[in-house]
Amino acid sequence: MIRAALIGNPNVGKTEIFNRLTGLSQRVGNFPGVTVEKKAGRMIHRGQEVEVVDLPGTYSLTAHALDELVARDYIVMERPDVIVDIVDGTNLERNLYLTLLLLEMDANLVVALNRWDMVAARGMKIDVEKLSELLGCPVVQTVAITGEGLEDLKNSIVEVAGQKNAKENRAVQNYGDDIEQLINRVEDVIQKSPAPVEKYPRRWLAIKMLEGDERVMEQTRASLSSPQLAEILSIIEAGEAAIR
Amino acid sequence: MSTKRQLTDLRPGEKGRIIAISTSGTVRGRMMDMGLVAGSEVKVIRVAPAGDPVEVLLRGYSLALRKKDAVNVTLEVD
Ligand SMILES: Nc1nc2c(ncn2[C@@H]2O[C@H](COP(=O)(O)OP(=O)(O)OP(=O)(O)O)[C@@H](O)[C@H]2O)c(=O)[nH]1
Ligand SMILES: [Mg+2]
Repeated sequence: MIRAALIGNPNVGKTEIFNRLTGLSQRVGNFPGVTVEKKAGRMIHRGQEVEVVDLPGTYSLTAHALDELVARDYIVMERPDVIVDIVDGTNLERNLYLTLLLLEMDANLVVALNRWDMVAARGMKIDVEKLSELLGCPVVQTVAITGEGLEDLKNSIVEVAGQKNAKENRAVQNYGDDIEQLINRVEDVIQKSPAPVEKYPRRWLAIKMLEGDERVMEQTRASLSSPQLAEILSIIEAGEAAIR
Repeated sequence: MSTKRQLTDLRPGEKGRIIAISTSGTVRGRMMDMGLVAGSEVKVIRVAPAGDPVEVLLRGYSLALRKKDAVNVTLEVD
């Protein structure tokens, strides 16, 4: 069975797409330990069974808001086979921020460029092929309210789930030499950890540590030795001093 | 010549480019997540009575900011 999760900014059309993908097979529950609603459903496409989870709508993936944390934990802990990032095609600049955060989390991504009807109606032009090339993942135009493009989206979900090298070309945000150096140094320390540091992707973990993300600090404390923690803290301090 | 002004000093219709966000921690991170970063163009759409909240247009969408956060945004205005 393929496990897919839908994510996107609030009000982009996630529920419409979720309904079209899963039809009447939906179940509503909660994410473990929190009262954030979890909707899951199933679809069968090209003979493959796909479980689809509707994640909370978020602009970002910080540890400060419960919805964001739930979405983020689901992605890093449950490691779904495919993340479907639903993007409002009429507001790419706003929406692609989350897309880049997802790529940074090493997610196996498919982007649904939704509201394609409105993109066309407003006379906006988007070079979908170029966007797909820049992000390094499939981009599919959809109109959730009519179902246009949903077959293409289903095809992409099944295809990406079956690809071993799906993430090879994905875009990596470069933060400039100063920050990249700090990221590398923290990654080096993490790599020497005696116990595996959760299931987090290493680069993402290093970036979150540099940001001082409380959740990540708390969860990794047990896996790192105290000299390692001290080294990481000194890198963070040096970095902060350099930036100021 | 451009001048330096706080976001709360702008009237509806006026716009500027962000040069600094002078706050720290969670609030700063949140503001940056919403696209308020150095270089972003911001236009004031509406200001509620007593200046709280302020509605601005940035990156093609509108965002409401509390006065106490908006006051920390410094803009370069032409
Ligand atoms: N024109 C047009 N409207 C759409 C499209 N997709 C969604 N909508 C409309 O956008 C609104 C939001 O859709 P939802 O599916 O509820 O969005 P959502 O992402 O689940 O929203 P939240 O759960 O509140 O974050 C609804 O009024 C939809 O009818 C689309 O492709 N084209
Ligand atoms: Mg919804």
